[in-house]
Amino acid sequence: MLLPMPLPASARRFQREHPTAWAWQTAIVGTIVLGGVAAIVAVIAALKSFTVYSAWLMPAFCGGAFVILALVRNYLPRKGDWVSIFAITGAFTIFFFLLHDYLTRTSGGGLAGFDNSFDWLNVGNYGLRVGFFVDPIAIVMLAVVATVSLMVNIYSTGYMHGEARYGWFFAVLSLFAAAMMTLVLADNFLLMYVCWELVGICSFLLIGFYYERRSAVEAAKKAFVTTRAGDVGFLIGIILFWRATGTFDVQTIINAAVHHTNGLSGAYLTVATLFLFLGAMGKSAQVPFQVWLPDAMEGPTPVSALIHAATMVVAGIYLVARTLPIFQAAEGATTVVLIIGVVTALMAATIAIVQTDLKKVIAYSTISNLGFMMAALGAGAVTGAMFHLMTHAFFKALLFLGAGSVIHATGTQEMPEMGGLAPKMKITFITFLFAGLANAGIPPLAGFWSKDEVLKSVFDNQNAVYLILLLLWVLLSGIYTARMIILTFFGKPRVRHIYNHAHESPPSMLLPLIALGLLSIAAGWVAFEGIGKALGFPGGIGQFVIPFGGEGELLSINGGLAVGATIAGLLGFFIASYYWWGLGERAARVAAHFPDLYDLVRRKFYFDEMYQAIIDRVVLGFGRVVSWFDRQVVNDTGVDGSADVTGFAGFELKLSETGKIPNYALAIAGGVVVLAIIAFTTQGV
Amino acid sequence: MAGGVLLALVLVPLGAAVVLMAVPGRLTNVVRAVAVLAALAMFVLALITFIAYNISSGGIQGELRWDWLSNVAFLGDNGITLHVGVDGIAAPLILLNGIVTLAGTWVSFKIDFRNKDFFILLFVLSAGVFGTFISLDLFFFFFFYELAVLPMYQLIVIWGSGPAPYGANRDRTYGSMKLTMMLVAASVAIFIAILAIFNEAGAGTFDLPTLWKAGYSPAFQKTFFPFIMIGCGVLAGLWPFHGWSPDGHAAAPTAVSMLHAGVLMKLGAFGILRLGIQMFPDGARFWMPALMVLGTTAALYGAFSATVQRDWKLMTGFSSVSHMGYVLMGLATLNPIGVNGAVLQMFSHGVMTALFFAMIGSVYDQAHTRDLRAFGGLIHKMPRFVAFFTLAGFASLGLPLLSGFVAEFNIFVGTFKTYPLFGALGVFSALITATYILRMFSFAFFGPFNARWSGLRDLLPTEVLAGSLLAGAIIFLGLWPSPFVDRIAQGLRGIPAICPNQQCSVGLGASNIRPHAPPGTTPISWLIDVHTPTAGRGSGL
Repeated sequence: MLLPMPLPASARRFQREHPTAWAWQTAIVGTIVLGGVAAIVAVIAALKSFTVYSAWLMPAFCGGAFVILALVRNYLPRKGDWVSIFAITGAFTIFFFLLHDYLTRTSGGGLAGFDNSFDWLNVGNYGLRVGFFVDPIAIVMLAVVATVSLMVNIYSTGYMHGEARYGWFFAVLSLFAAAMMTLVLADNFLLMYVCWELVGICSFLLIGFYYERRSAVEAAKKAFVTTRAGDVGFLIGIILFWRATGTFDVQTIINAAVHHTNGLSGAYLTVATLFLFLGAMGKSAQVPFQVWLPDAMEGPTPVSALIHAATMVVAGIYLVARTLPIFQAAEGATTVVLIIGVVTALMAATIAIVQTDLKKVIAYSTISNLGFMMAALGAGAVTGAMFHLMTHAFFKALLFLGAGSVIHATGTQEMPEMGGLAPKMKITFITFLFAGLANAGIPPLAGFWSKDEVLKSVFDNQNAVYLILLLLWVLLSGIYTARMIILTFFGKPRVRHIYNHAHESPPSMLLPLIALGLLSIAAGWVAFEGIGKALGFPGGIGQFVIPFGGEGELLSINGGLAVGATIAGLLGFFIASYYWWGLGERAARVAAHFPDLYDLVRRKFYFDEMYQAIIDRVVLGFGRVVSWFDRQVVNDTGVDGSADVTGFAGFELKLSETGKIPNYALAIAGGVVVLAIIAFTTQGV
Repeated sequence: MAGGVLLALVLVPLGAAVVLMAVPGRLTNVVRAVAVLAALAMFVLALITFIAYNISSGGIQGELRWDWLSNVAFLGDNGITLHVGVDGIAAPLILLNGIVTLAGTWVSFKIDFRNKDFFILLFVLSAGVFGTFISLDLFFFFFFYELAVLPMYQLIVIWGSGPAPYGANRDRTYGSMKLTMMLVAASVAIFIAILAIFNEAGAGTFDLPTLWKAGYSPAFQKTFFPFIMIGCGVLAGLWPFHGWSPDGHAAAPTAVSMLHAGVLMKLGAFGILRLGIQMFPDGARFWMPALMVLGTTAALYGAFSATVQRDWKLMTGFSSVSHMGYVLMGLATLNPIGVNGAVLQMFSHGVMTALFFAMIGSVYDQAHTRDLRAFGGLIHKMPRFVAFFTLAGFASLGLPLLSGFVAEFNIFVGTFKTYPLFGALGVFSALITATYILRMFSFAFFGPFNARWSGLRDLLPTEVLAGSLLAGAIIFLGLWPSPFVDRIAQGLRGIPAICPNQQCSVGLGASNIRPHAPPGTTPISWLIDVHTPTAGRGSGL
């Protein structure tokens, strides 16, 4: 039961009157529990039973933390935030054991998967098996989920300090981590769908965390319903695959699709695949489902970093990456993925240029990067997509956490009210700058390598048009990134009192910033064989995450492409500096020069208005029609009408009951005559 | 399992009603004590029935037969016997009634006005429901069926709530009269079918197992299946005969809404299964496309109607129509997965909607309005209420790990096997459900607090008990459906239209995944063969 239970009054008083003792006790209890679980982990590891088959322990830790927090958080010191941190630390630790075991088992061998399925319920012939499947794609995702979750948990102890429902926040974070890890590890679509919905509900709860605000509630609803619309497609896709193959198992379905057995071919396969893709589009905010993600920024900033930048929104990418062989087997499916991805990337990058809300710029940047990853998958570059997914998770989470640090310091999200913050928040600024440069793909930061990998695949395999469009995307990324940095950290302070108030954030927030900053710089270097080998991998990421049926190959740099993309990114920086440096008069002049165009972009191509109209006019309109029909036709006419007819008939017929003998005698005589006629006619024939 | 337990299921509520008659009405607390003891006893008995049902042996268990009228007039051997027994389908539904009755008794604790009479009628109703589920005699089936329906009229008229907060002035007299008349009219159809069955079988007995095996000509089956389908269907909210449901629910007092939407509507679906599908395999196969159309229509129609309702109870009423539409869809698939889902949905919807009504009642009793727009930010004042309601809402929109998902997923999978288009419409309907549930949350629970409601108190302890019981059932079924699925699957083996020759080997729990995969082999060979009981029926619509 998730009942908000109040802390006992005595405990609250104690907390208030003896803050030091309270803190001490917290530390002691925390250490004891921490030590206990660390001991357990150590024992398990020492027993060497800690293998890829123990992957389920990762979500189990976090799920356990959720149960504890959901039930007794208000009776725990610090509302139990340490339980959550502790569980995610445990999962993070386990991840390395898992990785080590995986590498030992495969000894560098490509696309091996380890499946550990056990019966959840199995009686007679009926059973649901819950399976966990570990392969390189899952490992990359797990690395992202575990790392970013840990960072965000630590960061949140600072950022959420003093919030009401502090414990609830950590409870949902734990549930989210558990669901997300299970999603990543699921070996079948059913379990994946279950977790898919669960992370959706966590997102709903966290976006609506400040439920006193109407806008937050609306945003949460919008996010849930929009992704749910995609999930309808996902569910239909899953059932269509089940209908053909009789299984939910991902690897089995992939094999059936690749070999076109079990009737998985032709139009059926394409339709089922595209339904599956709808789910991915909803979760990963691809056009036309992109509308929910910017609104989701109503949630607390750590949530934006974790769920709406690094993990949940890439679930769609992960799904397509996991099932890419199906997409490639289905005729036309990859083209759809590629086009949707490119359109999303360009549209979101364009919108990001004109947004004034710092978090919304980053949100659009996220959508844009998701589109880029989707385009990479459409081009068949599963390695590149997963690589970019990883680097993006780090630098985008950092951008969000940095933005959170700024918001925490200034109390506003509007960039026009900021400016000149760089000297006041040095660490935030420097880490933010690195994340921004990585986002724009400037070497040697993380984003450069992954972006280059994708561009090369597109260059090698696809029409040149797509390459040009993606280079344009790099340029746009450079522009909005630079604009964001300039408006926030450079120039003159635009609102004096906000500037005076600004201060650097506490260490609990800066620590994750620095950690993610280092990752934003260095995460891309795993592309190199030497670094990969040094870390124990068979080689660079290109030799680890291998396309289905393909060969591992070392990432190679196409010189011209790399230089071109870098120039595009830098050009973006220069353009942004030209237009927005200072007070941004030049940009304002351009906007005034093209009012319609500016409006179109600023209003996000009117998608929100369109959907609002669809909901108001179509859904609710249809609802009103049905409701009217139900009231007027079915009930008032059908039911009440028949009752009225009965009543009226009774009223009229009673007049025939006169009570006078002659009337009845007449009726009897008439009846005899009628019966006689009937008898004669029927007998006579 | 001893048949005595089953008999006690009926005798305890009836006995409690008799005891209550002897208690002076002014001793309201004594009445409450008797009522809650009786309800607890019923719950325990229902739980025993559920647990004691032996899955591995299956079939009908705890049979008990008491000859009432035999070898007189037109009756032969076993003419009319009190024949009770429980099979895998009835077992979860009996548990459902035990749960909802107990929860309903708890939330009715606050009733002051003639609470003695209220509980007497409530227990008679509950006895009727239990009796229907355990009856293996057509006569007593119908007797208990009517016994469950009729107390509803008094319960609504005397203890019902006022008219809807806006729109037509339809008060509780209207709602109760409409409900009773429609259900009684439907019973006429059932009655005709019962007499026809008795006559056609020619065995001079009302014994259901005998009648099931009697064998009827296809023409007879096709003629009389609609009588059962519509007759029982009205109680199950079959479109377009659902009109009594929203109006009746809106007018009924809390516990009655809970029992009615939660349990009584399931009697209708249970009747279709027991009297219709089990009795008339050919008739069922012939009429199932029609039922599928009507069920899907109800699912969408109810969902769309619910999106625009402002009256809280009307919205929940339409939501019930929508969810019962899923039940009918599941039944119409005639394959074990879909029908299993239908029975699961009966249980799931039962506890979920009972929780809805219990919570709405708690607010209505204080606020005296059911206008959704009048509320806002209730979570600030009533966090426990919102926690329970949200859980029920999430179950309603099919969130995994709660009961609704298990049920709906099976229904969708089953429907996709035979009618893909309708399956897709059903999934789409779940999206509309999410829309109206979240709209309701956003109107009533969240957002800025509406100061008009600063006088509201959170749930009473009895309401928390009731809520916890129902929420526990929702979570249990969601997390561990196996005990339910296995029992239902055993029940389905006895239905030839669904499992010919008792052969049903399809994974149902939430279907199979695959056996352990030895690495390096071709995965395709592990595919589990899906048995198709409806083979030869074409691909449907």
